[in-house]
Amino acid sequence: MELLFQFLSNTGYYLADYRHVIMLIVGIVFVYLAIAKEYEPLLLLPIGFGIIVGNIPFFKGFGIGIYEANSVLHYLYFGVTTGLYPSIVFLGLGAMTDFSSLLGNPKLMLLGAAAQMGIFFTLLSALGLGFLPNEASSIAIIGGADGPTSIFLTAKLAPELIGPIAIAAYSYMALIPIIQPPIMKLITTKEERRIKMPELRKVSKKELLFFPVVGVVLCCFLAPASIPLLGPFFFGNLMKESGVVDRLAQTARTAIVDTATIFLGFTVGASTQGDVFLNGRSVGIFALGAVAFSIATASGLIFAKIMNLFLKNKINPLLGAAGVSAVPGSAREVHLMGLKSDPSNYLLMHAMACNSSGVIGSAICAGILWSFNIG
Amino acid sequence: MFGFEAIAHHNGWSMAVAGASIVLSGLAILSFIISQLHKVVELTEKRVSKDSARGEIDDPSETPATILVPDHCPTDLTATAQVYKTLTVDLGQKFQLIELYALAKQRKFPHPHLDIRCLREAGLLMPLGDGEFKLTD
Repeated sequence: MELLFQFLSNTGYYLADYRHVIMLIVGIVFVYLAIAKEYEPLLLLPIGFGIIVGNIPFFKGFGIGIYEANSVLHYLYFGVTTGLYPSIVFLGLGAMTDFSSLLGNPKLMLLGAAAQMGIFFTLLSALGLGFLPNEASSIAIIGGADGPTSIFLTAKLAPELIGPIAIAAYSYMALIPIIQPPIMKLITTKEERRIKMPELRKVSKKELLFFPVVGVVLCCFLAPASIPLLGPFFFGNLMKESGVVDRLAQTARTAIVDTATIFLGFTVGASTQGDVFLNGRSVGIFALGAVAFSIATASGLIFAKIMNLFLKNKINPLLGAAGVSAVPGSAREVHLMGLKSDPSNYLLMHAMACNSSGVIGSAICAGILWSFNIG
Repeated sequence: MFGFEAIAHHNGWSMAVAGASIVLSGLAILSFIISQLHKVVELTEKRVSKDSARGEIDDPSETPATILVPDHCPTDLTATAQVYKTLTVDLGQKFQLIELYALAKQRKFPHPHLDIRCLREAGLLMPLGDGEFKLTD
């Protein structure tokens, strides 16, 4: 009988409190959003299920939990805390990305840079709310709208905030169709949204081969701390464009990136426990995340309008919103907004150019913020 | 500590200004360099074709030919154009791309967006102005 009571007192039913219940509900909601609404399912499903698994109560000290040494989850979490999984995901992203639209109209790269202003505005807001510089930098990178980049930087600077920051970043990425359109309509006029972009210049194979080499040297010389992200990114792209290692490129953009995505999402979710997530700081992080996305969108749009003051051939300012590197969600929203204004206005390829430039820009920003916080 | 005092205490202003300037100038420089890339490529190709005219190429199997992208287009674009021509029975000779795309999707054509893009870039889908296009014979 004593043995039975001992067993029962070690079950999750006995050890659960209200925080576990709330987090389980959060996890179930994420799983529902991923499956029923198809909001970023590739990330929300592993994260949601990870939250469920990570918040099942257990008796500490038996090497079960994600924060306990020698547990399986802890070993899998190694890829998050060391920044390994984000680097692998970037390898796969590079192997999937076609830079021909960006090379065909290089000035669109500036819109990707402009959209990163959301990061620095959020940095100031987070510092103003009382967060420490390392925490503020981790929160600010949400404005880059890049999940792996957010997780990478947070793992380096403020690992205790990985859970709320990852969930805020991916939640807002999934909400891009709700966040961006009103801002696009507010800042641009109907005539501006109807601006047609010229046909993209045809890009040669050699340019596509030179670009990853030139890009990695230039970007990583500028911000060496972005090497773990941009190095694999441009390497993946070179593998794709070279045409001589198709098997490796194919593996990078399928099996490898999918494996990293599964373990990244699952362990980030499992690391999001009630005592870290259910407090006022998480509310602040979520609020700042919304600010970050909104300012990033607005700054891209406004920069495009400023560029038009100096350009003879105007660019459609909607493309500024695609500088937010939520690939391909923001590019799709820009394209749909363009079609609403003029059904013959196809902005998708131009928007993808801004999107891919935004990925590079957010990785550089992560490197810069990491450099500022070292020491 | 909160507000502007906290920002100033943690060097927030200088971090924000420096960070924004670095990322903007870095990408501006990268943008400028890649805008000149095609000229560098053309220069190297001109040199290679001059050398081949003088018979000085080391590796005769190297060709300076430019391969155009996209390289994931259907191998037989003419056959693809013929397939899409069947849609002009319903659309007419002149149509908008959105109508072609919608009808292709309705008829469950695989990858209509990619096919339409490849047909445009190969010149098989000709613009007529005012947002109208036609498939060449």
